[in-house]
Amino acid sequence: MPEIQTAEKRGLHYTETEKVIPLHEAVSLVRNGAHMCFSGFAHSLAPMAFVREMIRQKVSELEITAMGEAWVVDMLSGAGALRAVRFSNFMFEGWGRCRNFSREVEEGRLRVEDYSHFGITNRFFASSIGLPFMPTKVIMGTDIYRIRSIEGEKKFHDFEDPFTGEKVLLVPSVRPDFAIIHASRADRNGNTQLIGISPNAELIAKASEKVIVTVEEIVEEDVIRRDPSHTILPSFLVDAVVRAPYGAHPAGMYRYYDYDPEHIDLYVEASRSPESFVAYLDEYVHGVQDETEYLQKIGLPRLLELRADPYFGYSLKVRGIDE
Amino acid sequence: MSNPTLNDVTTEELMVFAASKEVHDNEVALIGTGLPMIAAYLAKATHAPNTVLIFESGVMDTRPRHIATGVGDFPLVNRAAKTSTLFDALSLLQLGEIDLGFLGAAEIDQYGNINTTVIGPYEHPKVRLPGSGGANDIASLAGRVVVIARHKRRTFPERVNYLTTPGFLRGAREREKAGLRGEGPRRVITNLGVFGFDEDTKRMKVVSLHPEVSPEQVQENTQFQMLFNDGETPVTEIPPPDILQIIRELDKDRIYIGKE
Repeated sequence: MPEIQTAEKRGLHYTETEKVIPLHEAVSLVRNGAHMCFSGFAHSLAPMAFVREMIRQKVSELEITAMGEAWVVDMLSGAGALRAVRFSNFMFEGWGRCRNFSREVEEGRLRVEDYSHFGITNRFFASSIGLPFMPTKVIMGTDIYRIRSIEGEKKFHDFEDPFTGEKVLLVPSVRPDFAIIHASRADRNGNTQLIGISPNAELIAKASEKVIVTVEEIVEEDVIRRDPSHTILPSFLVDAVVRAPYGAHPAGMYRYYDYDPEHIDLYVEASRSPESFVAYLDEYVHGVQDETEYLQKIGLPRLLELRADPYFGYSLKVRGIDE
Repeated sequence: MSNPTLNDVTTEELMVFAASKEVHDNEVALIGTGLPMIAAYLAKATHAPNTVLIFESGVMDTRPRHIATGVGDFPLVNRAAKTSTLFDALSLLQLGEIDLGFLGAAEIDQYGNINTTVIGPYEHPKVRLPGSGGANDIASLAGRVVVIARHKRRTFPERVNYLTTPGFLRGAREREKAGLRGEGPRRVITNLGVFGFDEDTKRMKVVSLHPEVSPEQVQENTQFQMLFNDGETPVTEIPPPDILQIIRELDKDRIYIGKE
């Protein structure tokens, strides 16, 4: 495992509680070869501002442990930034397979290890509560059990409950170097809130060495404390906070903005060949200096259309709904 | 509207009606989007009003005002009774709280085992498919499972290329031996018919064929020997007008139920 280049080691000094840093600086903490995990579920919660900046900074040779964070993994696959992935499912719901990811695997450039959602989630769960492994009742009897790639013999361990004799499968804990999480809002100390579903954020944060949170907005501490039930991570579990409005685009954030089906069409079409995907990256990632320029490129009219209806939490306009 | 004939309904509408009958009242069901979601909401609107629907994204007891395009899609979050996590939702399977799970299948074999991982060798596949997701978990642990699949010769092999999601593995009592808890697949609903599994051998067997589908047609589209009961094969029921109206209300833009 490469040495993690923390802000401290790089000679950067922030006040004790001040954790807000610019995106490019947060991304520069990630070394080539790092083991990472990310937030995201289908077309929401993906830390895409962070991922685009990783591609601009040419971070490479990454190892990823994932559940179903399709957006992050497909874009990094298309940029050739990955060497190994453990996961349970990558799919662009409504659009089909993740083409960049599938092509990297089919052409033998990317090694993968398959799990079920619950199987891989238990690896994070064990880590998140400080245990070396967890027993589960899934995967047994299938090829997910039999076929072992990255993990070899240590993928699973057969076990019998010493109290009842029931068959269980042990999965080892997993401890990535970084968890990158896109959330709704945080204060400057790192208290982080997420509104809506939070499929994996808390789990992967507790399971990882370092936690970087990107958020739609940075708010006063009082805003957090007025509504603590939305807090997924208290400040002491967060190492750095980055302000990244529309940071999940083209995925969405509940109550902020919807996913962008037009841009997803464009992305999925581009991902059909390596050449057209390089052209996509040239235009939307390398071709812009930073995320402000990226959002300028998407354009204010579109960003306004994507804005969530205050009652429903998604865009009626984008979904063609007449209320 | 007089009673609909085959000309008035799509195959998907037949499948939705058949699938909705597999949802019983007062159950907890873990479902996916597309046809299973339409079927589950049809059941809730008719014979199973007290059934609770949960999704692997962690949304529970959903009441969407607009159609959702994914299991974590925002219309499911709005007005749900609870939002939670993937780990929490799937833990409910292991806890034994989930009576019914719905699954899709890229490839399904005679014992109801499903492949959604690879076509070809694992390390260098011809086609890399999306992977298990929650399917293996649901099939390992849910009380019973209903599978929705496209019925083609290529997708109904004798043995799946990669066994992602357990049906009856290699036959009777194999699930128990492996340590799996749920009953396994109860029904497979395809564009040709409704299928179950023989009690003794756990091999796939016809329950009903859709109108104008012949046994020969089913066998031609299946690589393994499909089992038939003696006597005449029942015909899948065409949804009556009131049911059809609900189905079409649930999927106004006909995203999942096919074009009229």
